[in-house]
Amino acid sequence: MKRLERLAKAKSSGQLLIVAALAIAILIATTTAYVYEVSKEKPATTQSYPAADFILAIKQGTRNAVISALANASNGGEKTVLASNLNRLAQTHRSLNAYGLYHLSYTVLNDAHYMDGVWLSWEDTYGLGISSAYANFTLKFYGLTEETTLSYAINITTAIRLEGYYTPNGSGKIVNLTCQVFNEGKPALAKNITVYYEVDGSWVPANSSNSLSITDYGNGVYAVSFTISADSGAVQVSVHVHDLRGIFVKANVTCNHV
Amino acid sequence: MRKQRRGQIRIIEAFLAVLIVFSSLAISASLTTEHKTVESSDLASVGLQALMKLDSDGSLGAYIDNGEWSKLRETLSLLLPEGVIFNLTVYDDEMRQINTEAIANGELNSQEVASIKYVCVSQNPNFKCYVVQLRLAVVK
Repeated sequence: MKRLERLAKAKSSGQLLIVAALAIAILIATTTAYVYEVSKEKPATTQSYPAADFILAIKQGTRNAVISALANASNGGEKTVLASNLNRLAQTHRSLNAYGLYHLSYTVLNDAHYMDGVWLSWEDTYGLGISSAYANFTLKFYGLTEETTLSYAINITTAIRLEGYYTPNGSGKIVNLTCQVFNEGKPALAKNITVYYEVDGSWVPANSSNSLSITDYGNGVYAVSFTISADSGAVQVSVHVHDLRGIFVKANVTCNHV
Repeated sequence: MRKQRRGQIRIIEAFLAVLIVFSSLAISASLTTEHKTVESSDLASVGLQALMKLDSDGSLGAYIDNGEWSKLRETLSLLLPEGVIFNLTVYDDEMRQINTEAIANGELNSQEVASIKYVCVSQNPNFKCYVVQLRLAVVK
């Protein structure tokens, strides 16, 4: 009898193994499904996007920092503001990037034109005015196996070009000017334009009493016209412009009889 | 002879059992990894693109400078695709929250959330640097 029982046990133990395996498989599957569902309910936060997007985002930030510095320097601020702004931006990136996955560094341009990365050329009497800032950046990415370095430069330039002449009008003169505004070499719009003319060595603002009219053609070209009372010879005119980014630039031009 | 055959059958059965257990493991592992990554990385990318577009002309920094939170919410609603819930928090460069009201178009509850941290620099002559955290989820 005992022998028979042992035989039956031995025969069914293999089937039992399969049944047990099936039970374990079901257990694993249900546990995984449960864990998956539970983890789905909690708001899992992830941050992953293409590296190219990330680089563009950093470039955008550095570009805005240079614009901010130029707006400051061109409105009477110190030229060292560029380096100071970029230093703060690099610090912010360092504090956000606790694991040191990337590193942003910069150098401001110093050459014949640029000092501390800023160039303001406003005294040209041929009608060209330039406000510009230039900085070089290096962005290093530290991967597990390799290190990638990306270098780029940001140059922000607001420029105006003036051309003008005057025509006699009775005892006075009508001064006509064309002012072109550029951002990074492309036509751009101005936020405001102020016109001055020289009388006895000092600059006088042209206003409604001078029948000042400024026509915006919408393509970065502005036609300026105003009248002045009798004065002999050429008329010195200075035009001051703030572009839409708040960057200030001015240029002077000598208007001769047409 | 009989014992030997029984031994072979045991080995086959054991193999079958191992096969069943491992196949269940493999199937459940693929189940869990499939969904997560695709959706969240797309969402993070869409969110980052929206912030960059808003920042390209300095609007993002200007809205924050002026505390125009409702305008920021409306603009983001326009830039993000329909069916995306967002919640934006603005911090200064010392990570202190500065938005005084919620910049969101819904509640982020039980969805999978994509989170983006974006460094926004204002074009204002007085340098201001903000850390913008945008959290996104798809309405289900």
